Amino acid sequence: MQENYLAKWLNNELSGEELKTFKKSDEYATYMRILEASSKMEAPEFNVDQAFEKFKNATSTETPKVITLNPFKQFIRIAALILLMLSLSYIYLNTLDETYKTSLAERTEVSLPDNSEIVLNADSKISFSEKKWNQKRNVELEGEAFFKVAKGKKFTVSTADGVVSVLGTQFNVENREGFFEVTCYEGLVSVAYNNQDIKLPAGSSFMVIDGIVYEGNETVMSQPSWMNNESTFENIPLSYVFDELERQFDIVVKTKNVALDQRFTGSFSNTDLNLALESIRIPSQINYKLENDNVLFYAGNNP
Amino acid sequence: MNNVCEEQIFSSVFKSNSKTIFNYIYYKYGNEEKAHDAVSEAFVKLWENCAKVAPEKAKSYLYTVANNLYLNVLKAEKVRLKYADKHSNTISHESPEFVLEEKQFQKKLDDALNALPENQRTTFLLNRIDGKKYAEIADMEGVSVKAIEKRMHLALKSLREKIDGI
Repeated sequence: MQENYLAKWLNNELSGEELKTFKKSDEYATYMRILEASSKMEAPEFNVDQAFEKFKNATSTETPKVITLNPFKQFIRIAALILLMLSLSYIYLNTLDETYKTSLAERTEVSLPDNSEIVLNADSKISFSEKKWNQKRNVELEGEAFFKVAKGKKFTVSTADGVVSVLGTQFNVENREGFFEVTCYEGLVSVAYNNQDIKLPAGSSFMVIDGIVYEGNETVMSQPSWMNNESTFENIPLSYVFDELERQFDIVVKTKNVALDQRFTGSFSNTDLNLALESIRIPSQINYKLENDNVLFYAGNNP
Repeated sequence: MNNVCEEQIFSSVFKSNSKTIFNYIYYKYGNEEKAHDAVSEAFVKLWENCAKVAPEKAKSYLYTVANNLYLNVLKAEKVRLKYADKHSNTISHESPEFVLEEKQFQKKLDDALNALPENQRTTFLLNRIDGKKYAEIADMEGVSVKAIEKRMHLALKSLREKIDGI
């Protein structure tokens, strides 16, 4: 008999000879009865539809876990993100410099952390680091400002044209396009310009117009005239006077047949435009015409 | 797209395999409740991984999951099988002695089946009740056809010896 012949017999894989021998054996009858009885056997009942329902319930009971867990995770994620953004922006804002700006025809006063004071003239901007103020008293300036510096460490004003440094004093710095002027009213001011170091005692000023240095101008004032709402000029080209007029009144100045390099000495009011225009017209011997926010200066009788 | 994730394909896989999986687990452990659970569990796993299981592999995947579920966890209980009265119309022609003798034989067969090792019993019943070929059973169990023939042979041998009281 071959290997596993009982299994082969069930599968009708026995040879005729083998089958004959097997049928003659004593066990054959019992094997036949086993086959007969087992053919009537039945497994427990199984309902496919019910099983499918059970499966569907099993899958649906697992989904709520996901739904209930997710919003919380999502919430934590968003909360963490917001917290991160808040702390980052806090750090960023803290390191940012403090900046003050004036627009045309505007003036503002700024108190520094050490009680030094800065008055910003029209169309000017200063910035400084409040956090590092105790280590370094430095102000970046674009435009014109008057400084009353409290006594202490070195105080510097950085401009595009030069650096002004003092210990404790009152001074004015003006830095416009092509124009740089420092006037000292009290104490001693040091101006670094083009690798030169110029010491300005009280009552003197340092001025650079279009790259030409003018030194040793005297002033008897205790503060710049613009602090008293007046713009004062001493031997200044007319073009800078017009620039200042535009800044103080937020107007547009146009000229016709006017020599702009003509020097002007005098002052004009920063509050009364008609008065200011007259103050320029009379000494310069030019005429003007005012229409809304436009002023036209012209030489001769007709524009 | 030939994908188990498609509901139509999935439900046809369910219809053609769920009963056999149920029987398979029942023959092994004799526990109807666990067999029902195994069917659910196997199909839940298949559903979750439907994108990764090719339709032709779905069947063996199901048996693997069902089989692993209770491996070394569940103790086999007594397998209870019913005997259909296929010849109920002829029963009146049989003598009471014959009926009694038949019942006694079925009782002996039941006891002998429960005494079999789990893998021999499962092979025997899958073949006798579910009409599964040796090759199909070999696929379910993950063994060779020859191994199934061996189990079948030993199952028959043990059953006869037990029934004949050797």
